[in-house]
Amino acid sequence: MVEVKLENIVKTFGETVALKGISLHIEHGELFTLLGPSGCGKSTTLRIIAGLDYPDSGTIYFGEEEVTYLPSHQRGAVLVFQNYALWPHMTVFDNIAYGLKIRKVPKEEIKRKVEWALELVRLKGFEDRYPTQLSGGQQQRVAIARALVVEPKVLLLDEPLSNLDAKLRLEMRSEIRRIQRELGITVIYVTHDQEEAMAISDRIAVMNVGTVEQVGTPKEIYETPKTEFVASFMGKTNVIPAKVVERDGDKVTVEFESFRLDGLTYTGEKDDVVLVIRPERIRLKPEENTVSLEGIVDLVEYYGFFVEVVGLFGETRMIARTISDREVANLKPTQPVKFYINRDDIIVLPKQQL
Amino acid sequence: MGASKWSERIFGTPLPDSVVIGSFLFPLLYLIAFLIIPVLVMLANAFVYNGRPSLFWFKSIFQSSYYFNPLHPQGSFVTTIDWGGKTVYYFSGLDFGVVVNSILVSISVMILTTILGVTFAFVMARYDFPGKNIVRILLFVPLLVTPFVNVVVVKKMFLPNGLINWIFYQHLHIFPHPIWIDGLVGVVIAQSITYYPIVYLNAYASFINIDPTLEEQAENLGSRGFHLFRTVTFPLALPGITAGAILVGIFSLEDLAAPIVFQGSAIAKKLMSYQIYSSFVSGFAIGNPQMAALALVMLTIALVMFLLVRWYVGMRQYAMLSKGGRWKPRVAKPKGWQAVVIYLLVIPTLLLTIFPQIGVVLLAFSERWYGTWPEGFTMENMKALLTQPDIVNVIRNSLMYSTAAIFIILLLSLTASYAAGRFKKAKLAPVLDSLATIPIAVPGIVIAMSYFFFFSTVPPFKGTILDPTNLLAFFPGAALILAYSIRRLPFAARSISAGIQQVHVSLEESALNLGAGRWKVLTSILIPLILLNLLGGAMLSFVYCMSETSVGITLGSINSTWYPITAKMRELIIGSVGSANLAAALGVFLMLVQIIAIVLANVITKQRYSFIGLT
Repeated sequence: MVEVKLENIVKTFGETVALKGISLHIEHGELFTLLGPSGCGKSTTLRIIAGLDYPDSGTIYFGEEEVTYLPSHQRGAVLVFQNYALWPHMTVFDNIAYGLKIRKVPKEEIKRKVEWALELVRLKGFEDRYPTQLSGGQQQRVAIARALVVEPKVLLLDEPLSNLDAKLRLEMRSEIRRIQRELGITVIYVTHDQEEAMAISDRIAVMNVGTVEQVGTPKEIYETPKTEFVASFMGKTNVIPAKVVERDGDKVTVEFESFRLDGLTYTGEKDDVVLVIRPERIRLKPEENTVSLEGIVDLVEYYGFFVEVVGLFGETRMIARTISDREVANLKPTQPVKFYINRDDIIVLPKQQL
Repeated sequence: MGASKWSERIFGTPLPDSVVIGSFLFPLLYLIAFLIIPVLVMLANAFVYNGRPSLFWFKSIFQSSYYFNPLHPQGSFVTTIDWGGKTVYYFSGLDFGVVVNSILVSISVMILTTILGVTFAFVMARYDFPGKNIVRILLFVPLLVTPFVNVVVVKKMFLPNGLINWIFYQHLHIFPHPIWIDGLVGVVIAQSITYYPIVYLNAYASFINIDPTLEEQAENLGSRGFHLFRTVTFPLALPGITAGAILVGIFSLEDLAAPIVFQGSAIAKKLMSYQIYSSFVSGFAIGNPQMAALALVMLTIALVMFLLVRWYVGMRQYAMLSKGGRWKPRVAKPKGWQAVVIYLLVIPTLLLTIFPQIGVVLLAFSERWYGTWPEGFTMENMKALLTQPDIVNVIRNSLMYSTAAIFIILLLSLTASYAAGRFKKAKLAPVLDSLATIPIAVPGIVIAMSYFFFFSTVPPFKGTILDPTNLLAFFPGAALILAYSIRRLPFAARSISAGIQQVHVSLEESALNLGAGRWKVLTSILIPLILLNLLGGAMLSFVYCMSETSVGITLGSINSTWYPITAKMRELIIGSVGSANLAAALGVFLMLVQIIAIVLANVITKQRYSFIGLT
């Protein structure tokens, strides 16, 4: 268990810059997630922490110790690979015992520790099977057991759930969380699935084209995104281009289409902005401190317990997500509709080149 | 602690350890020492005249009509001669000079082998007909390599009283007169029959690897029959077929067995390989710089062919795009005329092409063979394999040299494949990759020639057991083991690097990550996972070491105590006291070794056609 610090990590592959100087500080005992679309550099970051790749520049610390160019096998940062990387020529027992044998742990203790690890991942009795005789979920558990049994300082998980079906994914997600809590171990987790990231993480770093856009708790990331990219990456959301037309301290008035919204909070310098509004924060009935927008219904999508109403405001489409009641469910396209939005739920961010 | 940029550039990792550095440097230095430098030393000889740098020797080749006469060919391609009162068409070929002859023979062999190989491959890959399993087994026969003696049988087949005339003149009356194939035409026919399996295997693999949906889509859009073959099937298989054909071209260029067997006809000697070889055996011309220049011309042609095909195949490496599981191969029952072609043309042709191997067996069990068929059954030749001291000796020698060579080959191909396959970003990786495959394009006689110049002139080796001019101490075995290890390296390297490619790198990374050093990763993860490829590669290299010809009959035939099998076979066939029947018995022995190795390889690796898979 250790804290992990990355300072200005740069990594290039040929002409492409995979990491443009990222810095992260991961506390000990936390489950920290690197989240981003494919190609954002999250797996590269993980491999650099594991010592499987080395950065062009920058430094990595585990606690006080610099480990930037320490060979992988001397670091104690153990990676669970996306494809599990179980050795097909070894039994479950031998796979898990591998790291212990290298550390020259006495035989009796190896047996005890492997048993402990198998119990931890709930796979007791599978010692003598070969990896090909296991289901995807079981292989995953073996891979995690193999990593945990050597008592790593940091456990690294690279898209661990991506090869599992939907039901198993939920199950393994809570398994990973349970094990992490039980052992109090530092875990760095890589995924492209924002829902998975929010459900499992203590903190998340959202990455995009080799940079870290924002670090925070799931709530912070979701509720107060710092950039347009983070806002749009974290779930379905309305992103509306607008222009600042008046400023009064940190309060601004913005315009889009023929609408003018005042009393919004914005401290940025650029006047070209986007308004980020979560669909579930849009109401179809008036409340306090709301602005209202008049448009027409474009589409109603019925999901069962909730309904999404797509409203058309001039040229701009906006989605509202609301509990389905009879009135809402009966809305028909081309009918007039009014969206009510609390001013605090409109996040104004500088427009970003995406 | 710190990363090193130069080490990342050279070795592909900023923190190379002894295993990584060793994996790069051992095969690299070995290949430089025993392939590159010897060839360069020979090269140097070819460019020196009267102690000064000069193109004299090359000029002497290209200005002499003996070597280079593309415009005024001598002799006639075919003549009629009187043969015991009968008119016989005698084919011997035109003489364009040594260099041009070699090129023309090579091109002719490429064309003939492509026609044979592609036809057989297409029939086997696309048609399902009664008797196919027998044909499948028969197709296996021409793969068996029997140096010299199969050419002896081919020569007998095409004599006026040989099998071909027995069938087509005497019985079917298709030929108006008997034919007699000799000289360069004989060389072309013998090489084509010997080497077409290489094109066949490549073409067959290409045909069955074509995603059937690609052909089905074309049919769905209205293409069928020959149009389908011409527009979809053939272009997709072309890279594989070309690779096979070029390889055959290189083998033809360097082949010595056919010209030596046909040397009774003077024109068959006018090939580059034979000229260089005869400078060895005639003794006084050893060290002749003109021969070094000729070897260089031959090497250049082979290398150009090799590099062109590498470039072309690399460019046209169609990754089959299909998703999903295994496909069902497209196999059809032949319709009317297709069945006629298969049964009346394709299968009879196949039977003729496997006759040399059958003939070798017949020859080994007979006392003499002057007419169409051998006569006088005897076990004496086969018994001699176990009892006649000089025969037992050459078998023991070959087994010893080949065994020693495969240990070196395994070490070389394992380290080279690991370094080039796992550290691809390294500047040295492509160099190593090329060096490990290039021996395929270096004619054996060039290696023999280079070793001669190198070991007899360069200080650390001069005067040692490797120096062929140091007649008292020279141990041909050492030179042969070195030559085998270089010449047969590509066969094992290919098998092993295919194995390494199939092992996902994460299997090694996770071991590394869990605390294993590189050495431990190699021994506990990678080697166990590619064990079958190692065994397959070892056996493949072994059988090709056993039947190695060019170096064996030159450097290997300097001292009869240390003859390898092929040197003895040559002596038996062309020597005054020799017996082709005894040579055939050695050929049967080589076939047995190959059959055992192939069966073992197939049982162990469960792969079919693990032999001569050269693309």
